Amino acid sequence: MSPLWLALHLPSAASARPESPGSPGSPESTESLGGLACWAGSFTPRLSLAPPAGLLLEIGGCLRLWGGLDRLLDAVLAGLEVQGHEAALASAPSPQAALWLARCTTHTHCTDIDSMHARLDALPIASIDLDVAAREKLQRFGARTLGDARRLPRDGLARRIGMAAVLTIARAYGEAVDPRPDFVFPENFSQSLELPAAVEVAPTLLFVARRLTAALAGWLAARQAGVAECVLELAHSSRETTYLVLRFAEATRDAQRFERVLRERLERLALAGPVTVLRLAAAAVEPLPGQSGTLFDGAGRAATAMAALSERLRARLGEAGVFRLATHADHRPECATQKVGAGGTAPVVSGRVAATPPRPFWLLDRPEALAEVAGRPYRRGPLRLVSGCERIESGWWDAGEAESFGDIRRDYFVALTPDARWAWVFRELRAPGGWYLHGWFA
Amino acid sequence: MSALAEVLLRPDIRRGDQFAVAPAHPAGCALGVPTFASGFAALDAELPGGGWPRGALTEILVDGHGLGELSLLLPALRGLRAGGDWVLAIAPPDGNCTLHAPAWAAAGVDLERLAVVSPAAARDALWAAEQALLSGAPQAVLCWSAAADSRAVRRLQVAAAQGGQGGAVAFLFRPLRCAREPSAAALRLSLAAAPQGALAVTILKRRGPPLAEPIVLALPRPAAWRNHVSSLAGATPAVRSLCAA
Repeated sequence: MSPLWLALHLPSAASARPESPGSPGSPESTESLGGLACWAGSFTPRLSLAPPAGLLLEIGGCLRLWGGLDRLLDAVLAGLEVQGHEAALASAPSPQAALWLARCTTHTHCTDIDSMHARLDALPIASIDLDVAAREKLQRFGARTLGDARRLPRDGLARRIGMAAVLTIARAYGEAVDPRPDFVFPENFSQSLELPAAVEVAPTLLFVARRLTAALAGWLAARQAGVAECVLELAHSSRETTYLVLRFAEATRDAQRFERVLRERLERLALAGPVTVLRLAAAAVEPLPGQSGTLFDGAGRAATAMAALSERLRARLGEAGVFRLATHADHRPECATQKVGAGGTAPVVSGRVAATPPRPFWLLDRPEALAEVAGRPYRRGPLRLVSGCERIESGWWDAGEAESFGDIRRDYFVALTPDARWAWVFRELRAPGGWYLHGWFA
Repeated sequence: MSALAEVLLRPDIRRGDQFAVAPAHPAGCALGVPTFASGFAALDAELPGGGWPRGALTEILVDGHGLGELSLLLPALRGLRAGGDWVLAIAPPDGNCTLHAPAWAAAGVDLERLAVVSPAAARDALWAAEQALLSGAPQAVLCWSAAADSRAVRRLQVAAAQGGQGGAVAFLFRPLRCAREPSAAALRLSLAAAPQGALAVTILKRRGPPLAEPIVLALPRPAAWRNHVSSLAGATPAVRSLCAA
């Protein structure tokens, strides 16, 4: 696989701090590039920073994964637009050439050496970032473009403009090796973003927070990990920091899921004060292998879509608002249903219940007391018992415990109401007795 | 005349005396079937496309519980099990009722793929139903809402339609008094008890000609029916004759 480098040139990263105008390697510019590099981890694992304004992605190895250069570029451009970054892109077989082309041209993408040479030859000397002395000398020799400079005798040129400049040009043309330090993804994810102006309305933060969630998604992709929980800190100038904990139904690294949950939370948040700094930290990082493309993965996709839906519902309805059901081997009807919550890994059938007489689809949380007329239950008319009696007598063991249903002794019947509804009623055998409606066979 | 014939060829136009037909699927394969068999032959025969509509809202008007409104849906829900599809049930927000797991398991519903939402307010129930339909994740959505108005029903119908022909079967349970309100749902049914423990299903609206007579379905019941209930003596003769047949 021949290497191919994609360069991103970000003028905004260089000019982010006016007091240190793009001094190479200044901590501020490296930091904002670092956030972007984390995001780029979702495209390729091999990245290199080229401060002050450049970011290099080695994409030769992942073109097939993305289905070609055009698709990859579309994805990169879409990601940049969502985050509100403006960047110029170029790709070339050598990293230096990619950087120069990104800086000086618009959307030049050359995949082979010959077209790269042709593009480089046309670059004006004045616009590339060789050191100033070398550039001036080249222009005095009458070289306007890189092509002109290359036609000058190499030995003499090295003596006159310095070995470093000649080597840089040779690297751009792919004639000398160009070792680039790989970007090392940080061990823990915690990134902050200073807001240009204090924000007072929570939903507005969503747009800014996108840069952080995108960086988190890329960082997780590069580490083959997912996050089940992350914390967004909203720092105020005068008050204590607000912490928003975002929980997910399963470990994920899908930026859209981060954003959906974040939107639900931010829309319902009343800010304690204006926000000046946002910080996103990954709290619970779990290994999450990539998904292989398979022929039949409908069920897997449905499960992932369902997890995304339930975390969205939970963000608004609360953790207890969405659950699955499990049967529990207990004869007492109140105890036979278990709710399996967010960390729903528990087996859904926690005990095998022996074949029982029919059970109602709906169970009343609080049995409804029924009147008794002529020895029969009465609810807007006399109920007719249409089944034999089923005695349920169980639960003596937790009679003394708090929040338990305790010992029950009941006779259950299927009953028909006067308007032909199928009900489940019982007669309380313990004092004071009486009839109760406990469920509906819907 | 030819202009009229052209109009009639459009997939979204149908004649008043015919069932709506699904536009032919390009591949002509099973994916093109926009419905999901209800499991009741008598009902399927009267539903356009021969089953519960997918990617459309079905409104079921019934008061209270216990008539067999869930037994009516169970064959379809069981059918989803084979495909590993999810069912989402949004419980009535104000009810004293909870879903009783042993009954659902015994009825053949896959509890592993049944998600239950218990909203605190009526607005949350409708919001959850809309989100579920828009997400396309569950293949069946059951929602109980007494508070839904025409606007909410239209929103749900639009959300269900986003799923298209492969979309979810969406059931919205509302009280009988809503029968008079206009509704955007593709299919509207009202349920009533019929003699001998059967269920009378009246089709109030379908994408096809109106149907005057209720369809009487025999549902599995928890116990055998015993002698008549006096209040049903006045049921329509049509119902009785269908029962006898």
